[in-house]
Amino acid sequence: MRELRRSNVAIAGCGAITAVGCGLEPLLVALQKNFSGLRPSEKFTSPRFQSNIVGATPRNFEDENPAWFLASETLIQAREASQSILEKIPAERTGLVLSTTKANIEALERISENRPCSETARRHLQANLLAADLAAAHGARGPVQTVSVACVSGLMAIQQGVRMIQRDEADAVLVVGVDCLSEFVVAGFTALKALDPLGCRPFDAARCGLSPGEAGATMVLVRADLVLQPSITIRGFGSSNDANHLTGPSRDGAGLARAIQAALQSAKFSQAEIDYVHAHGTGTSYNDAMESLALKTIFGEACPAVSGSKGMLGHTLGAAGVIETICCVLALQNNFLPGTPRLSVAAEGTPINLVYEPRISVALKNVLKLNTGFGGMNGALILGHE
Amino acid sequence: MNKKIVIAAASVVTEADLPSARLGQRFGRLDLQSRLALLAVASLKSDFTSLPPDRIGICLAASAGSLTTDYNFWNGRGGVGGPSPTLFAYTLPSAAVGEIAIHFGLTGPNLCFVGDDKNLLAEAADWIRRDKVDGCLCVFCEVVSAEMAEIISAPPAATACAMFIRNAEAVQDLHELREFDRDMKALCALISQAKTAV
Repeated sequence: MRELRRSNVAIAGCGAITAVGCGLEPLLVALQKNFSGLRPSEKFTSPRFQSNIVGATPRNFEDENPAWFLASETLIQAREASQSILEKIPAERTGLVLSTTKANIEALERISENRPCSETARRHLQANLLAADLAAAHGARGPVQTVSVACVSGLMAIQQGVRMIQRDEADAVLVVGVDCLSEFVVAGFTALKALDPLGCRPFDAARCGLSPGEAGATMVLVRADLVLQPSITIRGFGSSNDANHLTGPSRDGAGLARAIQAALQSAKFSQAEIDYVHAHGTGTSYNDAMESLALKTIFGEACPAVSGSKGMLGHTLGAAGVIETICCVLALQNNFLPGTPRLSVAAEGTPINLVYEPRISVALKNVLKLNTGFGGMNGALILGHE
Repeated sequence: MNKKIVIAAASVVTEADLPSARLGQRFGRLDLQSRLALLAVASLKSDFTSLPPDRIGICLAASAGSLTTDYNFWNGRGGVGGPSPTLFAYTLPSAAVGEIAIHFGLTGPNLCFVGDDKNLLAEAADWIRRDKVDGCLCVFCEVVSAEMAEIISAPPAATACAMFIRNAEAVQDLHELREFDRDMKALCALISQAKTAV
């Protein structure tokens, strides 16, 4: 197998639809002003749901195939943003990696309730077929993969895209993250009593659960030597499993710490070279405590700035790793540290350098992005200026 | 050093093998896909647990994701107590990976695909070549209930196959994994049948 001598992989363009709007501009504004897109939703007002505070995108909630809509829209945005590079790459050398946990689960709800459901919406219940159709519609005739590793899916999808390029299987890879708000998902988290009735408050002393969200997000990864301007590159990745509990994180953060350590080794970085950590930060009691411990294990008392965006976007599951990495890209491109929306008073034991409000940071060079998920999965991605 | 990658063991299990499984009290509470995946791994005649737990990866593909459990969760939501929190945890294709990791205490890297088995061996071998792991459990699950089969127009299925691949100085009497070996299901059937015949 031929490996590229120059293995760096750059981010050529991004697209997003989130609870704060359609496109990167509203996301950048929200990150710079610490807006939260979490709102009460009429769709989830029934007492069957623990909370109706969600991160909903500006989409039609009668749509029978929202996963296709969110993914396609962001693919269009991201391809447009990287058009000058993509137009030089043959379709056969362009791959696609889809990250999702539930694909078009809307179709299962419709079929079970005997509501109308087209063949396409039904087909997109199967994540791999959704990926194949997205690739066909968006000019990716190279390798296609569908990654589903709970809430770490997005980071692992990015890593799979990086490996496709490093192994010389593709020159460009469209990494797409998508998951949609559905009664299925909100009922599930209600059953687990995992929702904060007031909306999630990551790292806050009063936090008591997450807020579900939805998003479509696309990143275009390309061989770094194809990018003419100074760019942001993927520097390292690490993953691990807690081997502890199916739905709860390990209490000591050792698993996540191992993933961070592996990412640092892969990037050939020391801890001191990380300028900012974008946390998983769900707002559940155990997750945030575990993540704080993992950061303490790695960084000791010298923890870099830490913040998280689920108080802005909600927990977007399979899209989370992609959209939150895009938040990091925007921070790197615009030299600022995003804040932690909905955080009022930090809980005991949380990182000392939690960023409450966004602030300018001209020295921001390398970012560590973390995600953890059901099944004990942990992922850590490092990205930074070339 | 150009490491050789060998197939240390392979197994195939079906739903019919489940009643005889002796894998602890929790086993019966897992969803069908996780039970099949765990049993397929437990059936491997390999000493993989002798390797350090953080040096063993798990790479799984689920042909239909978690759709069978999704159907059971969604259609059971009207029962006493409402939607099942236990079942909800299994509405992720990667739940089976978590169960394997918990059962054997494996803390290395994981990956889970939705779709066929064509990427599994290549990705697992990639981890070994890059020294991320010393060995990797590869698991392919095909679980489609009769109800879900009708919805997605696919044949019903309830099988899993597993393989343990690892690096080795020499192939000896093991099968060497070649770069073009992509059809894990067929390889598992071939190797497990050969072992049975012996």
